Amino acid sequence: MNKIVTIIKREIMTKVFTRGFIVGTVLGPIFMIGISFGPAFFLSLSEEKSVSLVIVDQTNQLSPHLPAAFSDTLANGQPRFILTVIDSITYERQRALFLQQLEDKQIKAVVIIPSNAWEGGTLIYMGKSISDMEFIQLVRDRINQELNRLKLFRAGINPDVIEQLTTRLKIKTIKIEKGQAREKQLGQEWVTAFVFLIILYMTSLLYGNATMRGVLEEKTSRIMEVLLSSTNAFQLMMGKVFGVGMVGLIQYLLWVAMALGVFAFAAASNPALLKYISISPVVFFYFIVFFLVGYFQISTLYAAVGAMSSSQEDAQALSTPITILVVIPFIISFTVVRDPASTLVQVLSYVPFFTPMLMFLRITLMMPPWYEIWGAILINLAAIVAGTWVSAKIYRTGILLYGKRPTLPEIIRWIRYN
Amino acid sequence: MAVLIVDQVSKFYDHFKAVDRVSFQIEAGRMFGLLGPNGAGKTTTMRMIMNIIIPDEGRIEIFGARFQEEHKNQIGYLPEERGLYPKMKVVDHLQFLGEMKGLSAAEARRRAHHWLERFELEKWAEKKVQELSKGMQQKIQFISTIMHDPQLIIMDEPFSGLDPINTKLLKDILLELKQAGKTIILSTHLMDQAEKLCEEICLINRGRVVLQGPLSDIKQRYSHNSVQLEYAGDASFIAALPFVERINDYGNYMEIRLKDQTAPQELFQAVAQAGLQVSRFEAMETSLNDIFIEIVGGGNGHE
Repeated sequence: MNKIVTIIKREIMTKVFTRGFIVGTVLGPIFMIGISFGPAFFLSLSEEKSVSLVIVDQTNQLSPHLPAAFSDTLANGQPRFILTVIDSITYERQRALFLQQLEDKQIKAVVIIPSNAWEGGTLIYMGKSISDMEFIQLVRDRINQELNRLKLFRAGINPDVIEQLTTRLKIKTIKIEKGQAREKQLGQEWVTAFVFLIILYMTSLLYGNATMRGVLEEKTSRIMEVLLSSTNAFQLMMGKVFGVGMVGLIQYLLWVAMALGVFAFAAASNPALLKYISISPVVFFYFIVFFLVGYFQISTLYAAVGAMSSSQEDAQALSTPITILVVIPFIISFTVVRDPASTLVQVLSYVPFFTPMLMFLRITLMMPPWYEIWGAILINLAAIVAGTWVSAKIYRTGILLYGKRPTLPEIIRWIRYN
Repeated sequence: MAVLIVDQVSKFYDHFKAVDRVSFQIEAGRMFGLLGPNGAGKTTTMRMIMNIIIPDEGRIEIFGARFQEEHKNQIGYLPEERGLYPKMKVVDHLQFLGEMKGLSAAEARRRAHHWLERFELEKWAEKKVQELSKGMQQKIQFISTIMHDPQLIIMDEPFSGLDPINTKLLKDILLELKQAGKTIILSTHLMDQAEKLCEEICLINRGRVVLQGPLSDIKQRYSHNSVQLEYAGDASFIAALPFVERINDYGNYMEIRLKDQTAPQELFQAVAQAGLQVSRFEAMETSLNDIFIEIVGGGNGHE
C-alpha cells in the first residue's frame, strides 16, 4: 500500500510541474469557455449596454415627464438610457456638436419632438444607424405614451385613471420579461449539461491516454522490471491509474479555482451571467461521482493496452476500441438532450461505459429516482472490479513482453494464466 | 542457513518448457553463479525467484519462508532488461527507487548521495538521467540495486555494457558485499567472470540443470591433463611419446593433451632429456569456459 503511495507521489511530482501540464491547465478552460459560454456571453454583452439618447423637446412641455418614461434599468443595474433633454434653442446652438457625437457613436440617436406634436406631428429620429427598428419603435412608444398621458391630463381626466391606464401598459411589459426568463432557464440547463458532458468526455480520453502513455513509457525505457523488483504488477497498475487520476483531480481543482475567479469578476460586472452558471450542489456531486466511475472504467483498460504495446503505433491501434467506448455515449448524449425520457436512453444509462455520461445527463435534465441512479452506480462498480481484474492479468504478462503486437487469442491466454 | 531454496521448479509456455524441474540451494554469504547460454532459462528462473512470474510447478523458499511481498525489500534485483525514467533527476530517481524498497524519503535521499559520492557521480546528482552516459546510467542502476542494504542480491548480466574500469569497480563492490555477509546470485553467460567470482555454480541449458556444485569440485571433475609449452627448436618428438593423447602445435607454442593417469611431470622429464629449449611449461587447469563448451557445445544449446 505504501508503495502505491510512492508511485502516486512520483506521478504527481513528475507530471504536475511540466510545461505541458501548465499550458493545458491554462488553455483548457479558455478553450472550454470559448466554445460554451462565448456566444451567450457576447450576446448578453451586446444586448445589455446603456444607450445615450438626446431628445429635443420643441413643445417645451414634455421635458419634465421624459426622464420618468426612460428610467428603466438593465439587468445589471445600470440605467438603460442616458437621457439628455434639451429645448430647441440649445439644440440649434449646439447642433454641430450633437451631429459630431452621433458620428462618433457617443450618442445613439437624437430625437426631435416637433412643436405640433399635440396635433399628431412627426417625430424626427436621427442616428448613425437606423436599422434597429425595435429600438426606434421603443423610443416612439415611450414618447407617445408620455404625450398621451399629458393629453389625458389636460382633458381633465382623473390622474388615478391615467395611472391605471399606464399600469395596464406596464403589465404588458412584464409578460415579455417573463417569456425571456423562461427561455433563459432552458438555456441554463442545457449549458450546464453540455459543459459537464464535454469535461467528462475530454478528461476520460485525455487522462486515459495519459495512463496508457505512462505505461508505455515505462516499457520502452525498460524500467518496468526494475519496478517489479520492488512491487507487483497490480500495485504498479493501480499506482499508475490513481496517480494519473490525481493529476487530473489537481487540474480540476485549479480549474475550479480559476473558474471561481473568472465568475467573481464577471458577476461583478454583469450579474445576469450568474443565471447561466448556477450549478446545484447535487449536480456537482454526481459530476464528481460519474467522473470517477468513468475514469476508472476507461483508464484500467488504457493501462492494459499500454502494457500490451511495444510502440506508439501499437498503442494507437489497440486503443481504438476503447476510444469508441467513449465516443459512442458522447454522440448518443446529444439525443438525450432532446428527449431525456426515451426508453433507449433509460436502458443504456445502466450499461457500463454509457452510465457516466447518460445517467449524468438524465440527472441534469430530468432527475431520475435515487434507486435508478445508485443501481446504475452499483452495476458500474461491479464492472470496474471485473475490468480491473482482467486488466491486471493482461498487464502482468504484457509488461514483460516486447516485440510484436499480441493477437486476441494471445490476450485471452494471458488472462487465463495464473 | 539456506537463504534460497529452489525446488523442482518448472515454467511452461504453451508446449515450450522455459524452465524444467530446476533445483538448487544457496547458503548465506555465498556468491552463486547461475550460468547458461542465451535462452537457457536463467532470466525466467530469476523472475520466478522474484515472484514476477509464478512457477507452474515446484516450490521456492526465501529466508526460510514462501515468498511474501515484503521480501522484496530484502532483495536487490538488477534485471537484464533495465532502464530508468529519462526525464527524472538522478537524485530524485534514486530516492524514488529507495522509497520503493521501503526506505523513508529522507533516508533514501541520504543514501543516494552517499552512493553517488562512492561512484564519483555526485556532481551529476541534479542532472536529468537522459544527460548521463550509458555507463553512468548503469552505475545508477547498480546503486538502486544495493542502496537499501539487501540481504540477497540477484544480478542478471551485471557486466554487460560496462567498460573495464567500471567492471572492476562493480566487482570490487560485489566482493565487499560478500565479505559483509550478503548472499549474491550472479547470472551470466561470461564464464571467465563467473570463474573469478563464484564459489558455487548452477549451469542451465534448455531449461534444465546440467551441472551444479562448488566450482572447485566441478573443475576437478572436469580437469583434463593438458600442458602448455613455449619452446624453440624441433619438438615433433612429443607427438610420438606414448603418454601423449594429442597435440596442437603452433610452431613455437604447443598445447598437449596427456593420457589419463599421466602426471605432467613425465612430460617435463621427457622434454628435459630431449634438450628442447623451453621458455614456459604450464600444467593447465581446465577453464569453466572449456567445461561450458564441452557440456553445452555442439550448437545444441542455442536459440
